[in-house]
Amino acid sequence: MQRRGSVMGRALVFVALVALAAAPIHAAGFSIFEQGSKAMGMAGAFTAQADDPSLLFHNAGGLAFVTERQFSVGDTWIHGLKADFKGAAPFPGPNNSAEQKKLSAFPPHAYWVQPINTTWKFGFGIETPFGLTTEWENPDQFAGRFLSTKAVLQVIDLNPTLGWQVTPNFGIGVGAIARFSKVELNRNVPFNNPFTLSVIDIGRLHLESDYKNGYGWNAGILHKVNNSFSWGLSYRSKIKVEYEGDARVNRILTGNAQLDALLATRVPFDKNLPVKTEIEFPDEASLGLAFALSPNLLLETDFNWTGWSTFDEVPITFTGGTGNSLPNTKIPQHWDDANNYRVGLRWTTGPTSQWRFGYVYDETPQPEEAINPLLPDANRNGVTIGYGHTGNIGFDVALMYLVFDERSRHKTFTDDDEGDFFGTYNTHALLFGVTLNF
Amino acid sequence: MHRLKILAGLLALALLLTAGAAFAVDTGSANFTKYVALGDSLTAGFSSGSIVVTYQANSYPALIYREATGKTTGFEQPTVSVPGLPGVLRLVSLVPGPVITPTPGQGQPTNLNLQRPYDNMAIPGARLHDLLTKTQSTSASDPTDLVLRHLGFTQLQQGLSFPPTFVSLWIGNNDALAAATSGIVIDGVTLTTAEQFDAEFRIVAGAIASTGAKMAIANIPNVTSIPFVTTISRFVTLPNGQVVTLNGPNGPLQAGDFVLLTAGPDIAQGRGISPANPLADSEVLSAAEAAAIQDRVNHYNATITAVANERGAALVDTNAALRNLSTAGVHVGGVTYTSAFLTGGVFGYDGVHPTAFGYGYVANLFIDAINAKFGGDIPPVDLRPFVFGTQSTTVTASSTGKAAGQLTDFIFTNEARRNLLLSLGVPKWIVDNEPAPGTKPHHPRGRGKG
Repeated sequence: MQRRGSVMGRALVFVALVALAAAPIHAAGFSIFEQGSKAMGMAGAFTAQADDPSLLFHNAGGLAFVTERQFSVGDTWIHGLKADFKGAAPFPGPNNSAEQKKLSAFPPHAYWVQPINTTWKFGFGIETPFGLTTEWENPDQFAGRFLSTKAVLQVIDLNPTLGWQVTPNFGIGVGAIARFSKVELNRNVPFNNPFTLSVIDIGRLHLESDYKNGYGWNAGILHKVNNSFSWGLSYRSKIKVEYEGDARVNRILTGNAQLDALLATRVPFDKNLPVKTEIEFPDEASLGLAFALSPNLLLETDFNWTGWSTFDEVPITFTGGTGNSLPNTKIPQHWDDANNYRVGLRWTTGPTSQWRFGYVYDETPQPEEAINPLLPDANRNGVTIGYGHTGNIGFDVALMYLVFDERSRHKTFTDDDEGDFFGTYNTHALLFGVTLNF
Repeated sequence: MHRLKILAGLLALALLLTAGAAFAVDTGSANFTKYVALGDSLTAGFSSGSIVVTYQANSYPALIYREATGKTTGFEQPTVSVPGLPGVLRLVSLVPGPVITPTPGQGQPTNLNLQRPYDNMAIPGARLHDLLTKTQSTSASDPTDLVLRHLGFTQLQQGLSFPPTFVSLWIGNNDALAAATSGIVIDGVTLTTAEQFDAEFRIVAGAIASTGAKMAIANIPNVTSIPFVTTISRFVTLPNGQVVTLNGPNGPLQAGDFVLLTAGPDIAQGRGISPANPLADSEVLSAAEAAAIQDRVNHYNATITAVANERGAALVDTNAALRNLSTAGVHVGGVTYTSAFLTGGVFGYDGVHPTAFGYGYVANLFIDAINAKFGGDIPPVDLRPFVFGTQSTTVTASSTGKAAGQLTDFIFTNEARRNLLLSLGVPKWIVDNEPAPGTKPHHPRGRGKG
C-alpha cells in the first residue's frame, strides 16, 4: 500500500511537470469549474478520482466504475467580496473609480448515475459550466456606462452520458451536451450635445436574448493503475450558441425640447429592435494524476486547458431594418487559449468523513486590450477547504477564497470601435458549495 | 558602527526619495524646465471663433505643461476674460436650422502686465512668415498686440528670449487654410508658396535649435479634414422634396467641389439653387482649388518632416490623426468622436478649431510623440472632464419642441460669420467683398494679412 508510485506513475508525473513548465501562461474567463462540492474542496483537482456523481462533469470516465444508483444535487454560492476599478488616463482618468455590485450567483448542479450492468453505466447531469454577471454600482454615473452597466450570461447543460468499464481498472465515458443559454447586455447611449459640446446620456440600451441552444459532446478516461496511482483525461467540446432577442433603447430626455426632437428623428427609442449575437463556448481538456500518499491521504494534481481562442468577438447585429435598428457593432475579445493548474489533498479522517484542501492557479485568457467593464478578467489564485460525510444521505461542503490578480489595461485593439477605457481592476470572491448525495 | 551604516543608508534612501519626488514626471531626454509654445490659433487655444480663458486654460500647450511638469501653475498665457475676443460663438437654437451667434459682449485681456514674455506665444491668425516678421496688429480684429504687447519683437524672438529648454512648434495651418476658408486660392496671397515655406520653416527651426532647446513639431492637417469644408453637401433638398445641385460661379457643383460652412446663410435665403443666382466664389472650394491646396499641404508636410528629422524633433502627425477622425472616428469609453459639425464632439462652432475635448486629444498626440522621441513617460491628459464637460444640459435654447432641420442647414449670424473669417486669417478684403488692396483683383502682389 505504501508504494511510492510505479515507474509509469513517475513518468507521468514528469510529463505533467514538463507540460506545466512549458505551458503558455494563460483559463479563467467566464467558466465555472465548481460543479460539485467534493471536487471543489480539492480546488477541482478531481479528474483522476471522479468517484462521485459530479464525475459527469469532471471526468465521464469515472462513470464506468459506478456500482450503484446515486443522486446528487447541489449549488455553489458565488459571493463577490470586492470588484472595483480605478481609472487611468486618458480615459476615464486617475481621478475616477467605481465598484461593482456585490455579486451573488447560485449556479446549481444535479447528477444521476446508474449501472445498467457490470460493464455499462448510465448518467445524466445538469450543469452550469459557464456564467457571468457584472453589474456596476450607480450605473448612470459610472464612467464606463457606454460600454456596460450590467451583463449577464446564463448557461445550463443537459449531459446524458454512457460509461463503459473496459477492464476492472480502466473506464471510458462518452456524453452528449445540450446547452441552453441566454445573454443580457445593458449600457447607456451617448450623444455629443451640440449645445454644450460635451457628452450626454440619451438612453439606456437593454439587450436580452431568449434561451437558445447548442450541442456538443464530452468524453473521459479513468485509469486506476494501482492502489496508489490513477490518472484521468477529460474533454468537453466547444459549443456555439446563436442568440436572438430584442434590444430596446429606453429614452432619457435631455431637458432640451429641440434636442429631444432632433434625437427622435435619429434614434428608434422605446421600441423592440430585433437583434442577434453569438458566443462560441470553448472546449476544455483536463489531465489529472492522483497519488495515494498513505491509506488516508491522496494527492491529485490537474492540468486543465481551455480553448478560449473561440471567444474572438461578440457581434451585435440588428435585423429589424430601417427604423428598427441601431448600427451593428462588435465587441472585440481576441482571447487566447488558457491553462489552469489544480492541486488537491484528500484526507480521510474516518469511515464516513473526509477533509479536503486545494489550490488552483487559473490563468486568464483575456488579453490586456480586451479588459473592459463588461468582463474584467485576471489571473486567479484560489484556496479551498472542504468536508464530506457519507451515509444514507451524504453531504459535501466546500469553501473557496478566490483572489484575482490586480489587472490593468493601457492598450486598445486596433479593431476596437468602442475605445479606450484604461485602469486597474481588483476582484476578490468567496465561493461556498453544498452538495447532497443520496 | 553597524547602526551608523544603517542610518547612513536610510538617509541616502530618503534623499533619493526626495529627489525622486521633485522630478516625479519622467520626461526622458526632453527637459520641460522652460517650455515655450509657438504657433497660431490652434496653439493659442482658440475655439468657437474666440480667444477666451475657458478654452485657453486647456490649450494643448497648457495641458502638455501640466502633464510634463506635474505643476498646475507657472505656464503663462495671454488670457482673455469671458466671453472672449470676440464673444465666443454659441448655438442658440436648432430650429429652423442651427443658429450660431457670438455671445454678446467682449472679454478683456487679464494678463497684459506679465513682466516677461508669455510661455504660450501663439497668435491666432499667424502664418509662418509672421513668426519672423510681425511685431504688431495690422487691423482691429488682429490679436497680435494681445500677445506681443508692442514690445517691438516678433513671436519667435519673444519665445526664444528665455531661452527655452523645450519648444513646440505648430505653424503653417493658416498658410493653407486661408485659401480654403476664403474659397479663393491665390498663390503668394491666400496660399504661401512652397519656396517661401521651405525657406522660412528652416529659419524658424534653426533659430529654435540654436537655443539648444529640444522640439516637438506638428504638421498641417488636410483642409478636407475640417467640418468648415466638409459639412454642407452640394445637393440641397427643396421644400417640395426635390433634390437639386447647388450652383457655384462656374455652374452646377461637381463631385469634389466643397460648399463652405459660411455659405449656410445664403443657401437658406435660396442662393445657389438657380444658375442665375450662384453661390459666391468665396463660398465654394472647387475640386481644383482643393487639389491645389492639398498639393501644397503635402509639400509643407514633406518639409516639416524633413526639418523635424534634421533637428531631432518629435514629429506630431496631426495630419494623419485628423484624417482618421474624419474617416474612422476616434473612440473613447464607448463614445465615438468624429469630425461631424455640431455632433462630432471634436470641432467647435467655427468648424475649424477643436473643442475642449479636441484640444485634449491633440495634447495627447503631442505627448505620445514626445515620449516616443525622447524616451520619456509623460502621462496622457485625463480626457474625462472634456468628455462630460461641466455645463448643464439644459441650456439657453428656446424650448419649442419643433423638429430641428438638417444640422447642415445652419445659420451663422452675419456678425458671427465676419468674426469667424477674420479670425481664420482670411484677408479682410475677401471677407468684406472689397477689391484686393492696391492691385488688380485676381493678381495681387504682396501678402495679405496673416
